[in-house]
Amino acid sequence: MISAQTRNSHLAIFAMVVIATTNAHAQSVCLPLPRLLTTIPMGGTVGTQVEITISGENIEDVSELMFTHPGLTATPKLDVNGQPEANKYIVTIAVDCPTGIHEARLMTRLGISSARVFCVDTLPEVTQAAPNTTLATAMELKVNSICNAVMTTKAVDHYWFEAVKGHRYIVNCASRGIDSKLDAVLIIGDSAGRDLVVERRGGTLDFTAPEDGRHVIKVHELTFKGGPAFYYRLAVQELNADAAIPEFASTKTVNSFSWPPAGLAASAASSETEPNNEQAQAQKISLPCDIAGNFFPAADVDRFEFAATKGDVWWVEVASERLGRPTDPAVLVQHVTGAGAGADEKRTDVAEFTDIASPMKPSSNGYAYDGPPYDGGSADIIGKLEIKEDGVHRLQLTDLFGGTRNDVRNVYRLVIRKAAPDFAMAAWGLHMELRNGDRNALSKPLALRAGATTALEVVAVRRDGFDGAIELVMEGLPEGVTAQGLKIPAGQTRGIMLITADQNAPRALANVSFHGRATLGEAATTRPVHMAAMAWPIVDSWGEIPSPRLVTGLPVSVTTSEFAPVTIAASEKKVWEVAAGEKLTIPLVHTRRSEFSGSTLQLRTFGAGFEQVPRFDVSLDADQSEAVLDLASLKTPPGDYLIAFYGSAVVKYRYNPEAVGVAEAAQKKATEEAAVATAEVERLTAEAAAAASDTKAAADAAVAEATVKRQTADAAVAAAAAKFKAANDQAMPKDTADIVLSEPIAIRVK
Amino acid sequence: MALIKHNLIPSHEACKFLLSALAFLILFRPAAAGEEFRSVSFVNDVMPVLTKAGCNAGVCHAKAGGGQNGFQLSLLGFEFQDDYEHLVKEGRGRRLFPAAPERSLLLMKAVGKMPHGGGVRLQTESEGYALLLNWIRQGAAYDADTAPQLMSIEIQPNRGTVMRNAAQQLKAIAKYADGSERDVTGLALFESNDKSMADVADGGLVQISDIPGKVAIMVRYQGKVAVFNASVPLGVPVDSVPASKNFVDDFVFGNLKEIGVPPSPVCDDATFLRRVSLDISGRLPTDAEATAFLTSQDADKRDQVIDRLLRSPEYADFFANKWTAMLKNRRDDASDMTSNFAFYAWVRDSLLANKPYDQLVRELLAATGTVIANPPVAWYKRVKEPKQQLEDVAQLFLGVRMQCAQCHHHPFERWSQNDYYSLSAFFTQVGRKPSATRGEDLIFHKRGIAGAANIKTGLTLKPAALGDAIPAIAPDEDPRLKLADWMSSPENPFFAKALVNRYWKHFFRRGLIEPEDDIRDTNPPTNPDLLAALEQHFHASGFDLKELVRVITRSHAYQLSSVPNQYNVADQQNYSRYYPRRLQAEVMLDAIDDLTGAQTDFPNLPTGTRAIALPDNSYNNASPFLKVFGRPENESVCECERVQSSSLAQSLHLMNAGDIKAKLATSSGRADRLAKSEQPAEQRIRELYMVAFSREPRADELKVALDYLAESRVDAAGNPIDAQKANTENFQDLIWALINTKEFLFNH
Repeated sequence: MISAQTRNSHLAIFAMVVIATTNAHAQSVCLPLPRLLTTIPMGGTVGTQVEITISGENIEDVSELMFTHPGLTATPKLDVNGQPEANKYIVTIAVDCPTGIHEARLMTRLGISSARVFCVDTLPEVTQAAPNTTLATAMELKVNSICNAVMTTKAVDHYWFEAVKGHRYIVNCASRGIDSKLDAVLIIGDSAGRDLVVERRGGTLDFTAPEDGRHVIKVHELTFKGGPAFYYRLAVQELNADAAIPEFASTKTVNSFSWPPAGLAASAASSETEPNNEQAQAQKISLPCDIAGNFFPAADVDRFEFAATKGDVWWVEVASERLGRPTDPAVLVQHVTGAGAGADEKRTDVAEFTDIASPMKPSSNGYAYDGPPYDGGSADIIGKLEIKEDGVHRLQLTDLFGGTRNDVRNVYRLVIRKAAPDFAMAAWGLHMELRNGDRNALSKPLALRAGATTALEVVAVRRDGFDGAIELVMEGLPEGVTAQGLKIPAGQTRGIMLITADQNAPRALANVSFHGRATLGEAATTRPVHMAAMAWPIVDSWGEIPSPRLVTGLPVSVTTSEFAPVTIAASEKKVWEVAAGEKLTIPLVHTRRSEFSGSTLQLRTFGAGFEQVPRFDVSLDADQSEAVLDLASLKTPPGDYLIAFYGSAVVKYRYNPEAVGVAEAAQKKATEEAAVATAEVERLTAEAAAAASDTKAAADAAVAEATVKRQTADAAVAAAAAKFKAANDQAMPKDTADIVLSEPIAIRVK
Repeated sequence: MALIKHNLIPSHEACKFLLSALAFLILFRPAAAGEEFRSVSFVNDVMPVLTKAGCNAGVCHAKAGGGQNGFQLSLLGFEFQDDYEHLVKEGRGRRLFPAAPERSLLLMKAVGKMPHGGGVRLQTESEGYALLLNWIRQGAAYDADTAPQLMSIEIQPNRGTVMRNAAQQLKAIAKYADGSERDVTGLALFESNDKSMADVADGGLVQISDIPGKVAIMVRYQGKVAVFNASVPLGVPVDSVPASKNFVDDFVFGNLKEIGVPPSPVCDDATFLRRVSLDISGRLPTDAEATAFLTSQDADKRDQVIDRLLRSPEYADFFANKWTAMLKNRRDDASDMTSNFAFYAWVRDSLLANKPYDQLVRELLAATGTVIANPPVAWYKRVKEPKQQLEDVAQLFLGVRMQCAQCHHHPFERWSQNDYYSLSAFFTQVGRKPSATRGEDLIFHKRGIAGAANIKTGLTLKPAALGDAIPAIAPDEDPRLKLADWMSSPENPFFAKALVNRYWKHFFRRGLIEPEDDIRDTNPPTNPDLLAALEQHFHASGFDLKELVRVITRSHAYQLSSVPNQYNVADQQNYSRYYPRRLQAEVMLDAIDDLTGAQTDFPNLPTGTRAIALPDNSYNNASPFLKVFGRPENESVCECERVQSSSLAQSLHLMNAGDIKAKLATSSGRADRLAKSEQPAEQRIRELYMVAFSREPRADELKVALDYLAESRVDAAGNPIDAQKANTENFQDLIWALINTKEFLFNH
């Protein structure tokens, strides 16, 4: 039996947990950043103009809608009075604009927004105009056209098209590949909507009509979710019997950044030749080689045979998952002796290759943030093949996911080459656990507040034994912005790029170039850093699986509408020198521009050679502090280093306080205008009362007209009051946890 | 763990059997003069006595975790060496008292001369007591190495025709490796596979009841089993049977002629349409469908409707509902939703496309990748351990219950622990990698030689499929694909049989083998030739599930009336008539919705989603109706998890529950619409009968309904209520009455 005392203490603990949890979740994570979430429609036909409606978060005061290709341009849509309509744009798609995936971003009060896919196609397009969630309200979809639509929650969208018996129709749907949250289910039914064929894995329905006449296409989300984020582009096309199936273009997975190797030909030099499943059927090749093939049919085994010499070192690379296929390639190389394929043949394992290791540990989907929800590793292969004996070798390539799946689209490319040391890189906005149970997965456009330092986490996949250090370089930054990379040290795969906006930096935007630089052999070589971002801001990655993907380009902006809550920097911008084994004290200056919840900030240290600096506290109430680095315990060898301090603080953040003043002024102006309108009504009413009979009618009309104006003015007062209240509410201080980064500090250990 | 295992279904059978042994005092003949001088064998005498007396039952001294009161025996006596150690040496030999054998603890407790938790197990004058006593007197020797090895058990006779209410004495003969034989009738255990047809006493005397058909008596002795197959004829001359439409009729009616049970006639069109619609698509025919069918003059209209139903999406929905329950598509966490939907949809779409059954099972067994890209992977999310995987696969797809053999030789079967672990070896190379989705692994074939260790011997066993050797599996080959190959081979004795038996049960209420997933030599089919022919047909069709349904439902055997004639009312297994059964929970809920014109809203699913199309068990929480009527929670591979029995709660629910009342009163529902309709009352009553029963009302029914509709209604104060309102309520009452008829609640 539990005693009363024990029970009470249990209740107290429970209450504390509840309170703690409540408090934790009352905090927001990360200061607001502008995010473009939807454009309706999501694309258009090449050579046309299309009106789109945008939505997003933190996107007030949009000054520009821009695209990643110059063939796409946008202007605000104007109403009949020549005034811009809120959130509406006219997008012009040039005749030479490439079809496929492009990206749109907004320039807003807070700077550059996150990206959203915008598609360009050759087929005519329509947009879902009304709810079509029943057979009776099914929308006609002309053959050879695309419909842009948004899925309704707990519903099935219905379309119909006229089919001709025996003709071949392709029905496919772009959703996940264009940043939608929709896991699309496609169904073709007969005229009564009875299901004939179904596709639920994002694939295509290849349908030959059994009858003339109306056929129904049904679309729904796998679990019947819906809403603005669940948009899709549905196409129905008629094709000849032998025509290849067209597929919608799609965004690239994060791990595809490591493919292809620099300089690889667009197409493979040769292709696999079936049958090559059995040992005796192994396809003869010579090294080096570059072979295209596919894992088809189910449980396909592709065997290749080649001669190799003891001591040779080859590098084997396979791409399949990085080509967007749901595969898991595996390679086994065996040395073959004996009298050819047969009973006497003896095969000895030489090497076995499976995955490309993740450059840094990704999230384990645990209770709290324990790694980025971006995985740079892959189920593909990069492996070193050391030949131990002269003679015949066989390489066996299989798909560990392919035992039962018959999908001819599961292609691969196999490259065997002499060592060509190289590297590939990707980066994303740094995140860390900012509160208990933080499971945020947020896109973090580089929209800098003046005075802020922000960080990108950078990873490298190393190829063919390349082991050197990689410098991180960012060029073409806006005025007042500097970027310094904490290089990826030799043998390691993770680094940090710090971007700092001076507090005096003007509002600006620039597309920057970001690359890694290393010495390969004798040559200094640069490789692009591919940017990855979340398709959607996810605040609970348990409840919703984040969708990271690669994005195009890296725009960096500065806003002066808001400033960083605090800037922490060394007291002097210089290289701090210290002798190995001694202590270095760096005075830190805090430029505080906000209130904080809590009075201390615990700092840790980024930067090779200094990662082991013990955590230390600085006061959030003070204007200065100091960092003491004990080189004796760190054992950092002599050399030049770049470090930064980082931690998290809870800011009493006010969103767009300037808007309060603007709204207040607008309200005041509206009130004044209403007063004028009221006075005018009173004046005219008095005049009408005194008017002679021949002018009475005109006077009454004037009163009526003035009354309407007054009513309009009163409505404007109410609207302005509502805006003022909303601006006030938004500007109320709200606890928001975010990363605080110091400006980079250069250190020379002598 | 062993205790848990023995609470599982197969072990439950074992326990029932052994518990029945506890109920008896075993009265053997007194020891014959000179008997005590015969050398008593520990292996061949003592162990059988202990088994017969129930000492080594799972609930007694073979209980997991130390037996009872520190005395442990191996379950059912399969471990001679261990049992000898426990019996003779453990506790400093306190259980035997060689100086005064009668005073041995073993005997004193067994006969109740000392307190014994298990009660009196032996009588002092019994043969068992004498054997134990003499064994102790003779020095309590261990003779496992020298005693003749038991090779088989034979039952005499092993088949025969036994008249109703007659008795048949069976004899159990043990055969040993040295060629000797021994009558072990007194020491063997007997069990009937259908106690309502035949009961068997401890001494092997079978008492047949008055139910005609086939019944089997199993005899079990020291891990060996044998079966007596009895045919119990009714003996009525069967002069005519319905015309044969296919081989199903040949074998069903052939059997009925053989045992002399005249079948009921073929049912009328209305009954057929309702029956086949409920059985194939899980729904009532619509008024329009019923009208069209009843007025059709096409000679093959029954065949046509079968084909139409098999083409309908509801067929896929209904059978996916059946399969996903057994495949444990269960939601334990909100995050299971996506994988459950994907898995359900994979099954449903596969059935819609009529994917061959062997291919369906192959894709499930050897699934790899992610749930979204390859939904059968979800099965590996729920069924994680190789042992659980083999047990589920064996029971579901092979009709073989292997759970017992994990810890000991299967008591009713030939399956040993080696068979168990050899089968589990197919699943030992299932690799897992973390995925981006919480709780979901990527499944892949992990390169290596498959093998599973027998926990008893420690030996690592290579994959073998229920006694069939499998050619060596290379490290790169996924053993699960080899298992799938074995399953779908024409020689496989289980795969096709298990499926056709399961589907037969779906349409006839009773499997040719019962339970449908307990196929073993000791549980023979009631119509072996029919089962074999169905197997052959299914295999020859390329494992075509729709064709199997077609051949079954086209038969006149399926289309017999459920109304018994004067001879076949007691028939429970010969299919001489259609055995009515209550509509299952989802079907009944949909049927009530169809009749009332209401819709049941399920959380997060589109309005209009039918209960038979629910993807997992989670909807039971929000629907008291589904719970009360026994919709399973998808925890077991056994169809028996679905409760099909009737209960008072069900009756009360149908009569009084709020959801039923709400459906009756739903605005724009059928009652509301009919009350407002301008049609003649007869026409409106006809509509109700056509929807509820797929038939026109009879004249007497029509009169009762018309009279009821014409009744005026008064409120609580006795004042007449508004005519329109009264009319609506009258229609609600009428529908309510129809719902509460057996004709509505049962498929008949």
